[in-house]
This record gives sequence, C-alpha cells and structure tokens, in this order.
Amino acid sequence: MNPAVHARPLFIALGLLLLLALWLSLALGPVSLPLQETLQAALRLLGLPLSGAGLEQAELILGQIRLPRTLLGLAVGAVLALSGVAMQGLFRNPLADPGLIGVSSGAALGAALAIVFGARLGGLPEAFAPYLLSACAFAGGLGVTTLVYRFGRRNGQTSVATMLLAGIALTALSGAAIGLFTYLADDTTLRTLTFWNLGSLNGASYARLWPLLIVTIAVALWLPRRAKALNALLLGESEARHLGFAVERLKRELVFCTALGVGAAVAAAGMIGFIGLVVPHLVRLLAGPDHRVLLPASALAGASLLLLADLVARLVMAPAELPIGIITALIGAPFFLYLLMRGRS
Amino acid sequence: MRLDLRLASFCAALLFSHAALADEPLPQRWVSAGGSLSEWVVALGGEDRLIGVDTTSQHPASLRALPSIGYQRQLAAEGILSLRPDLLLGSEEMGPPPVLEQLRSAGVRIEVLPSKPDLASLERSLRRMGELLGTPESASRVFADYRQRLERQRQWIADAQRSQKAPGVLLMLGHADSAPLAAGKDTAAAWLIEQAGGRNLTDHDGYKALSAETLMVLDPEVVIYADRTQKGAIDPQALLKRNPALAATRAARDGRLLALDPTLLVGGLGPRVPDGLAVLSAAFYPSAQALTAEAAR
Amino acid sequence: MLRAENLAVQRGPCTVLADIHLELRPGEVLGVLGPNGAGKSTLLAALSGELPAAHGRVLLDERPLSAWHGPERARRLAVLPQTSSLGFAFRVEEVVSMGRLPHATGRTRDAEIVGEALAAADAAHLAGRNYLELSGGERQRVHLARVLAQLWPGGEGQVLLLDEPTSMLDPLHQHTTLQATRAFAEQGAAVLVILHDLNLAARYCDRLLLLEHGRPHAFGTPDEVLRAEPLRAVFGLEVLVQRHPERGHPLIVAR
Repeated sequence: MNPAVHARPLFIALGLLLLLALWLSLALGPVSLPLQETLQAALRLLGLPLSGAGLEQAELILGQIRLPRTLLGLAVGAVLALSGVAMQGLFRNPLADPGLIGVSSGAALGAALAIVFGARLGGLPEAFAPYLLSACAFAGGLGVTTLVYRFGRRNGQTSVATMLLAGIALTALSGAAIGLFTYLADDTTLRTLTFWNLGSLNGASYARLWPLLIVTIAVALWLPRRAKALNALLLGESEARHLGFAVERLKRELVFCTALGVGAAVAAAGMIGFIGLVVPHLVRLLAGPDHRVLLPASALAGASLLLLADLVARLVMAPAELPIGIITALIGAPFFLYLLMRGRS
Repeated sequence: MRLDLRLASFCAALLFSHAALADEPLPQRWVSAGGSLSEWVVALGGEDRLIGVDTTSQHPASLRALPSIGYQRQLAAEGILSLRPDLLLGSEEMGPPPVLEQLRSAGVRIEVLPSKPDLASLERSLRRMGELLGTPESASRVFADYRQRLERQRQWIADAQRSQKAPGVLLMLGHADSAPLAAGKDTAAAWLIEQAGGRNLTDHDGYKALSAETLMVLDPEVVIYADRTQKGAIDPQALLKRNPALAATRAARDGRLLALDPTLLVGGLGPRVPDGLAVLSAAFYPSAQALTAEAAR
Repeated sequence: MLRAENLAVQRGPCTVLADIHLELRPGEVLGVLGPNGAGKSTLLAALSGELPAAHGRVLLDERPLSAWHGPERARRLAVLPQTSSLGFAFRVEEVVSMGRLPHATGRTRDAEIVGEALAAADAAHLAGRNYLELSGGERQRVHLARVLAQLWPGGEGQVLLLDEPTSMLDPLHQHTTLQATRAFAEQGAAVLVILHDLNLAARYCDRLLLLEHGRPHAFGTPDEVLRAEPLRAVFGLEVLVQRHPERGHPLIVAR
C-alpha cells in the first residue's frame, strides 16, 4: 500500500481548492467590497500592522460576518465529511451516512424541543438563551446515539447490524415525537423549525464557533490515527481482530467521534445533508478507499464543498438567503442517484 | 396593574426615543421586516424611504418590487448591509439574534416595535414611526383616526347586538387543496372575530385540522375562509365540494361563507384591519346597516 | 505453538464443539475434515480466539490467546476466513499489504513481501487490478496472499489457520494453493486447513482430524483416518480406499 504517489497531487489539488474556497468565501458576499480593501482588511485580520484608515466597513464585514461564517463552514464541512468516512467504515458500506446511528434525528428532536418549548421556559438566564437550541440539539444527538449504541451492545460486543436497525427504529420514534411537537407548534415556530431543518451558516459568531472548532480539531486529529484500523475493518470485524486491532474499542471510538462531530455541527448550523455521504464517496472515486488518504482528503473536500455551497446560498437570492441544506441536497441527491445507477451497471 | 406597567413603559419609551432622536439625523434608508409595519410605513407616507422588505410584506403590492431580505426570523446580516440601510424596522419576532447583533455593530439602527394586536402597542409603534419619519403629528392623526374607527365599529356592534345575538363563527385557514385548519382561541383570527362582534367557537390553541364530527358539533353560523392561494371572492360550491363536512353546518345552509385575506391575520394591527372588521361585522349582522369605510368617516 | 486443551464451545444451550485436544506442530499441515455442520469452522474460530471457550483453553506458546497483545499475536497467528465481505475498491496489492499492518518493517520491505506473497499464491499477475473486479477464486487467492504476507517469510512459532482455502478454486489452483501452503509450512510454520476434498487432504496433509457433531471421530495420519469405516460412520458414504499409483497416499473413490 503506497498511496503517497497518488496522494500527493490529490492533496495539492484539494489544498488549492480549499484555499480558493476560503478566499472566495471571504471576498464575495452581497456587499461588494473592492479587492484592495478586502486584501488589506484580511491582512490586518491576520495581524499585519497596516493602516486601517477607511477600512472600517471592510473590516467589520470581513472580521465580524464573513470570517466567523467561513470558519463555521470550514469546521462543519470537515467534520461532516470525516463523520461520513467513519460511518462508512463502521458499517463497511460506502452508502452509510452519519444519520444511520441516530445522531441527526436526535439532534432534530432536541432542536424541536428547544424551538417549540423554549419560548415557554421564560426563566432562562439571558446569557444562556441563545445557546438553548444548540445545546438541546447537541444533547439530543448524543443522547439518541448513546441509546442506539446501547441497543447494539450484547455480551460486551457491538453488533453493527443491530445498531443499524436500532438507528432506524429510534429515527422513526424521533420523527413521531417531532411530528407531535410540530402539531403543538404555532405557525411561526413551525417556520423556525423548517428553516432549522434546512441548515444555515447565517448568524455565525465567534462565541458559538469555539465549541465546534474544538470538536472538529479533535476529530480531525483523532480519526486519522485510526486510519489503518479502519482499513482493516473494511475486510471484516474478525479479519481486523486477526490483524491485531482492538475492534470493539475502534467501533466505540467511531460512534463517539461521529456523535460528537455531527452533534456539534448540527448544533451550530442546523441539518446539512449529503456532505457526509457524498464527499467521502467522491474522494474514494478519486483516491481509492485507503483511509490514510481518504480521511484528510475528505476533510479538505468537505470543507471546500460546504464553503462553495454557502457562497451560492448567500449570493443567489441576495439580499435574502437560501438555506444551505437546499443547495447541498440539490447537488448531493442527483450525485447520489448517479452513484446508485453507476453501481448497478 | 398591567395597564400601569404598560403606561410606564410607554412613557419611558417616549422619553428615551425623544432623547435619542434629538441629536441624530432622521434615517433615510429603511428596511422593514414585518408585514403590517411595512404597510404602516406606506400609510404614513414613508414608502420612498423603504429600500427592502421581508417576505411577509405583501401589501401594498408595490412593496413586492423591492429587494426581499427573506423571512423575518431568518435575516442575513450581509444581505441587509448590502442595501446600505440606516434603519431596520421589525417586530419582536425578527431574528435571529446574532444577526441583529452583527447589524447593530455595523451601525444599523434597529427598531423593534410591538406587534401585539392592541391599541397601546399600535400607538407606540405609530408614534415611533412618526418620529423616525419626521412627521409625528401626521402619525398621531392617523392613530387618532384609526382608534376612532375601531370605536365606531364597537358601537355599531353594540347597536347591532340589541336586535341580534352574536353569531358563532369559525375561521378556516386553507392552502390550495390541503385540509383547512381551524383557527384556535389564541390566534389573531379569534381576535378579529371577537372584534367584529362574532363568537369564536374553537377551544384549541393555534391552527389545527378539525374532524368532520367536531365541525358538525360546533355548527358555526358563519364560516370565514382564508385561503393563501385564492385571492378575492370564494366559490362556495367549490369550497363545499372540497370540504363536504362543511355542508352540514348552518353556515353552509344559510350561505354564510366569507372570504378573508389571510394577510390580515399576521403582524398585529395593520391599516387594513378596520376595513376588514367592517366587512366581517356586516356579514355577522346582516340586518343592521353596514358600516362602510365611507360611513365611518 | 498453538495448543488446544480439552476445548469446548457452547452456542446457547448447545455444545457445538467438545473434547478437542490438539497441538499444531511446526512444519506440519493439519487437515480438518467433516460433514457440513460438524464444527470445523467453529473449531477454527475457537482456535483463533473469535469464539470464547466454554471449557478448556487455547495456548499460543504456553500463553492463553487472550493474554497476547493484539499486534504481537497477529505477527504469530494468521487466519484466512472462508469468505470475505470486502466491498471497497482496493487495488490487489493494497489488500495484500493489509497483512503487513501488524508489522513495522517499512514501506520498501513491505512492498517486497507483498510481491513475494502474491507470487506464492499464484496471484502475481493480479497486481494493480481492482479487487472488486476479480472473480471469487481470484479473490480467494488474494486473501491467501494477504495471510501469507502477515506471517512472511514464515518460520517456527508461526501459525496459519485456513478455512476452506480451495472452495472456489479451479482444480489447478486447488493444487497450487495447497502446494504453496505446504511450502510455507516447510519454512517452519504450523498450518491448520479445513478441507472438503478427501483426496486433497490425503495428498497435502501430514495429519487429519475427522470431526463429527463437534467431537473428534478420528485423529491421526491420512492412512489412519482415511479408511472406509470412519468415512462411512461420519459422512454416511460408502468408499473404496486405494493407493495413489505414483505417490502412495490413500485415494478415495465413492462406490
């Protein structure tokens, strides 16, 4: 297994793509800033001692609106793609998706709870109120995934097939609960729920960014350490054990990383579909299934793709914005169908 | 107690707003996020100040030509900034909060006006808009006129009720061919019905679908049908065909099916509310002489 | 070496394997025979630590299997399962090089070993191909190369367990595969191989274990085990046992 030969040009290309996406995400928006101002403001944000005269607006838009949003997109895209790789590895199926272990439906349930009943919890401290939705989504994702994992455990072993079925059942159950909440909700609450379900990077702020950034960095550092074990896992669980890997611990880590990563991403930006499914798939087509390449390359590609999708989301209807989930689904769903058709022939 | 509080906050708001406005130029470029607020800006003669509105601002039709900033609860900071506004006007529903924070730090003045359907809220909103437009007198005139019309409306109903009992009314919110939803007791629809002299029959919260049996038990004398896709008069035959349960009600037998513009149901007291109420109450009390817009003035 | 002492395996209330005493010897190929459901794969799973022993124990170098550290054990014991469910488009040499994961011999040495193991499994010509595009028999040889690479070059103290490595192979490759296995054993490794073909077992195995209902029915050299009575008792098959005209090992012909 000697991926470096093929991996190097891929990493260079994906790195350049990410740089381009980062730059576009910082330089373009409904407010058109002259290139020179953008550059100057960007350099000043990096800490270069340039004169800031006449740059107030550019600095504000770059520093307070576009940069936190770009960082959010970077983290969400990367962590969703990494979680997708982890799940496709765990289920040994290239069509697996982070939603399979219930993390998305759990997060949606938490969010629905927060949106529908949050208003009635009038007694919350002012400082905590804006985080209620994120906190509930995160807790919901982690909670349902923990349940799915518990159902999958028997005699100290984790049955991936049982987890898959438990995930389906608990997703249906969450769906029913969400349905009940939407029935109880009023019109405006419903709309908020709908928008949340479509995801958005809108309103990103540094305060809400840090938890996700920390989780993303942790996941992005941890999963590649398990790249070899993931490769072996693709052979089969007992094969991986015969190759000397601690498979039970590996499965636990994969579930935990995914629940944490997707939970934090969903809490920060709502439901954004298809990144976790499509990006690893796409990278696998280019670079093969070796996780030593697949994991970092998917993180790069996921971040780039999400940033570009967000760019479309904020430009196409300006001054209004499209939910980004619509864009990722518009790109992702046809691609998914293409993969299905391709797999069949 | 509640009235005192309201009065106190009202006075405080007045004081502060005057202090704030004293040394600031009037905002010239307005973005409005809220249907009835936009409508009031136009009614107060400020349409030329508006440079962008949200998706709920549908009246008057000329507003639809303005750039749309999206749904009032999902505003985008940079999109709004690209319009270079001085002022963002909206109700308490406007959001999300981080975006408002970003706009505020970019120097956009944000005015959050109450959208509750009561006159005190309206008076506060109109006064504020008048100040921001630089025409406080005309705003208070508009408000006085509005209050007077509602007052006359109330008297007219009181008169009408001497000879006729208040009818039981059900408001159904429809959308294309989907099952219509009945307005609950906490909705703006219930408020409109009560204001027009009707008796709202429902006991639930929000908008919910009713079973055919419940509909028969409620047996409304008047059914108001607000369809989001259908503008203008309703075709009773088509309506009854799509909702056969309605046909068994008194309202259908007596042909008392009314159409209502659903935009009247959102965003508090808009300028078109008195006209809407007059039309509704005329239908509730057919034997009394209609209080038309002309007669009211 | 790998030794099973009074090994028994329980599945729910049923005892599916019992009374297993065996020791794999360096340089020797031990064949396991038995009808479907006799417990052959269960034996292999128990010997590799996949199934817990209800009774008795499995020792690798006098140490219980569970006491071994994962990678350390993997460098001593390799297992070829009956079928593989790998569904990802690895290249053939990537699959084989997974056998090198427990080692830290470096990329260059690993690439050499992968080449040698592929050649040993008569699969060198498959290098560079997409695993998913291979036939069942080709895949089986690739996995054989993988487990050979895991123990390469093979030597005393190493154990190779093979579950029906010839099940999907054409007659020529059935022989080349078992020849490769023998050659590997001659380097010093102990090999256990589950087989269905009695004549292949007769030709390539040093000792045979005949299983019936999870218990050993006969255990010994091919000459001792491959006789008409035990084969009739276990398989219900009437056979004639003759001699191979050139090699002299038993030759089983159904009557």
